[in-house]
Amino acid sequence: MDYIAGYIGRKATSATNHISNLFALTYRIFVLIFQRPKAGRALVRRITLEQVYFTCVQALPIIIPIALVFGSMLIIQFAKVSGQYDLGKTMAMLIVRELGPVVTALLVIIRSATAIALEISYMNIFHEIDAIEMAGIDPMRIVCLPRLIGITSAILCLFIVFDIVAIIGGYLIVWVFTYIPMGDFMTQIGRAITATDIAVGIIKAIFFGIAITVTCLKHGFSVKKLITDIPLSISKASVECFFYCLVINVIISILFYL
Amino acid sequence: MPLINLVDYTIDFPESDCSFNKLNFALSRSDAFAIIADSSDRAHLFLKTLALLVKPVSGAFYFKDKKVDFSDYRNLLSCKKKIGYIASNSAMIGNITVRENLLYMRYYFENSLSLSLDETTKKLCKNLGIYDKLDMRPERLGSVDLRTAIAIRELAKSPDLLLVERPEDFIEHSNFAFFTEVLRDMMLTKLPVVLISYDKNFIEKFSNKKIFLKDGTLSIG
Repeated sequence: MDYIAGYIGRKATSATNHISNLFALTYRIFVLIFQRPKAGRALVRRITLEQVYFTCVQALPIIIPIALVFGSMLIIQFAKVSGQYDLGKTMAMLIVRELGPVVTALLVIIRSATAIALEISYMNIFHEIDAIEMAGIDPMRIVCLPRLIGITSAILCLFIVFDIVAIIGGYLIVWVFTYIPMGDFMTQIGRAITATDIAVGIIKAIFFGIAITVTCLKHGFSVKKLITDIPLSISKASVECFFYCLVINVIISILFYL
Repeated sequence: MPLINLVDYTIDFPESDCSFNKLNFALSRSDAFAIIADSSDRAHLFLKTLALLVKPVSGAFYFKDKKVDFSDYRNLLSCKKKIGYIASNSAMIGNITVRENLLYMRYYFENSLSLSLDETTKKLCKNLGIYDKLDMRPERLGSVDLRTAIAIRELAKSPDLLLVERPEDFIEHSNFAFFTEVLRDMMLTKLPVVLISYDKNFIEKFSNKKIFLKDGTLSIG
């Protein structure tokens, strides 16, 4: 019994410690956003844009087909079930509020979060972080800050792309290839999406971006010496990111829709 | 006024099974130290210590008479910026070109990305044989070229202190004479240097004092 209690206690302490470290890292990066020293702005801007390009622009050829598949699949299924009257509302609820954010987050985790954890681990092991410090530059400002801003902005853009492609593209696919009656689908969608849905989308994007970036940075920086720790850190980072995103998604949905 | 002053400086570095116990060491302008150690790990650790890359267990590190505060890594950045560190664990940033690596510090502190290499750096690149490889990523360079690029980056940052580990391994043999010329010119400007080398001629030429490291203790000769 003592052994089990001890095990649970150790795990709980370690988890609490890990979560506090994540919050501390988030705080440290946020402080950098508001400090805004003149030195390094151009470099930070460039790295941020590169991050947006890697995470958002390069992900478009993947997210667009996924959104089309999801959109058309859901329209086909719900058009039959709902008898077309509340199809727009159902689609708005499912895609804009829940599926869009989660699928986008999952895609970003698979493509970019793992890449960030790998890159930071690599930079740490091969002394690139030391090289940045030896140049008198704060690695938090040049490595962490651009990734946080870049990934958060990229997720927000991908949310919008996913929602638009899933709804409009899905509608077009169903309209072109099937005879399923959908009534005045676009008008229903227009009526169903409220300002709250848009605000919630933005809030989810910000929180997902922060959770994904900070978790990956933390796991990346925790690899110190062994190259064999890198796969472990990537695996932990990706699973944790997805879990945090799901939890954040549920919390935000409860806060706004219940 | 010493540039660096270590007082009762204790370092414990279990990874390489090395430690230093209550070291006292002062380095002034125009000093040129050669490290003679009982193990290369210990010599390397001392160089890392001078580069502020190892956190001490106890003791004080004075840089230009100002005590260095190790409680936050950001306090070390202004000192690290002034130290040229050419050692086996020096690296280049992998996801940018060699040219961008050489300009990285200036990109940051001059807040501009439209900078070009200054004449001194260009001359170093040309004479040390990496000028035509400046637009490559570091991983595409051979190991000697990569180490040469690192050496150029450190020399180009106009350091207040130069730490060099086995320069004979860093620079291509055919270009070594040019490197020694550059180093001599820099030392004529009273740049203090701490070096590790297995080349006795090099040590004789470029050092005026010796640091003996044995079993975690330091003596000057």
